[in-house]
Amino acid sequence: MRLTDFAGLAQTCVAVGLLACPAAQAFTVSISSGNPRAIYLQVGVGSFSGLYNSGGTPLANPTVNIVSVTVPTAAVGSGTAQVMASNTGATRSFYDNFVFCNAGQLYVGGFYRFNNNTAGAGATLTANSATAMTNSSGDTIPFTQISWVSSGNGESGAQPFPSGTFTGGTQSIGTIARNQWAESCMTFSYSNSSIRAAGTYSGTVTYTLTAP
Amino acid sequence: MKPGLLAFVAVFWLALSAPASAATYRVDDSATIPAESSATLRWRHFAPSKGGDNTVEGVTKVQVRLNLTPWVKRNGRLYLVLPEQPPGRVTVRWSTQGRLLPGQLVTGQRALVYAGPISTTLLDETLVLQIETDGTRLNSTHRLNFHFEIDVD
Repeated sequence: MRLTDFAGLAQTCVAVGLLACPAAQAFTVSISSGNPRAIYLQVGVGSFSGLYNSGGTPLANPTVNIVSVTVPTAAVGSGTAQVMASNTGATRSFYDNFVFCNAGQLYVGGFYRFNNNTAGAGATLTANSATAMTNSSGDTIPFTQISWVSSGNGESGAQPFPSGTFTGGTQSIGTIARNQWAESCMTFSYSNSSIRAAGTYSGTVTYTLTAP
Repeated sequence: MKPGLLAFVAVFWLALSAPASAATYRVDDSATIPAESSATLRWRHFAPSKGGDNTVEGVTKVQVRLNLTPWVKRNGRLYLVLPEQPPGRVTVRWSTQGRLLPGQLVTGQRALVYAGPISTTLLDETLVLQIETDGTRLNSTHRLNFHFEIDVD
């Protein structure tokens, strides 16, 4: 019935249209999002043009950082975990230049931008430690002997990238929710639970941030 | 034409053509033209904040033409109106070339752009709109509907 009534009103408008039918009385501006998606990951040292607080934007930094420890001969295989130290010197957060990490810790941080918060998952940080550490003689130490404790200066709540141990494969380190900045400082340690052949063992763990 | 019908048409015509009385009216802005088909809004901060500043912002230009014929020689106050609509709260600031006042408003509000005598039938003005909204809600193109209205004395 209302549709019929409306049709009748419209016809009336047309009949007197040359005299009084009102013109469209509104204008529209279409708006759309220009750069809706972005991710950033920093493991160890990173690069930023300034700081986030001053409108900074992330830059690429290909540096591969080193986390290491020298186990004293008398302590080899003692079962006493050996704290490792990173060589990064990256203790300040590019978020606000706050000294978020302490010397020897590894800064891990990043963000995920997306123009929809209502559905879907965050970005997932994974680490691949499948290839064991080796020395010049070909002896190996699996990355399962390496663990870490996460913290951040001034923070007492749960860390976005919590404490853990490498699995010797690809594992989840944590998640960055949409439109969030997340960061943790990791203190690594070597379990030192068995006697190994002498030498310098090295290997690489690769961190990957993946947005759905 | 029958006399009764003629009288009805005459009264109807007079009602339409008589000067508007003190009240609020929508202004015919059908000749207003946005300079761009779509205004692109970008993150204010490329990186998200811990506090959640997800503002996107952008600038666009609008060539405004208002038909003020019904209110010529009267005093009135012109307002730019941005009704409540998706994607939610939108803040708009604008500058002008001087015929209308600069200002700002958010969705659900109207803002004064002119007060005084109406002396011209067509008012042309260029508005440079700076638009801000929550980028997490802008997951598609939205059409922001503006209009002008006038309060006449």
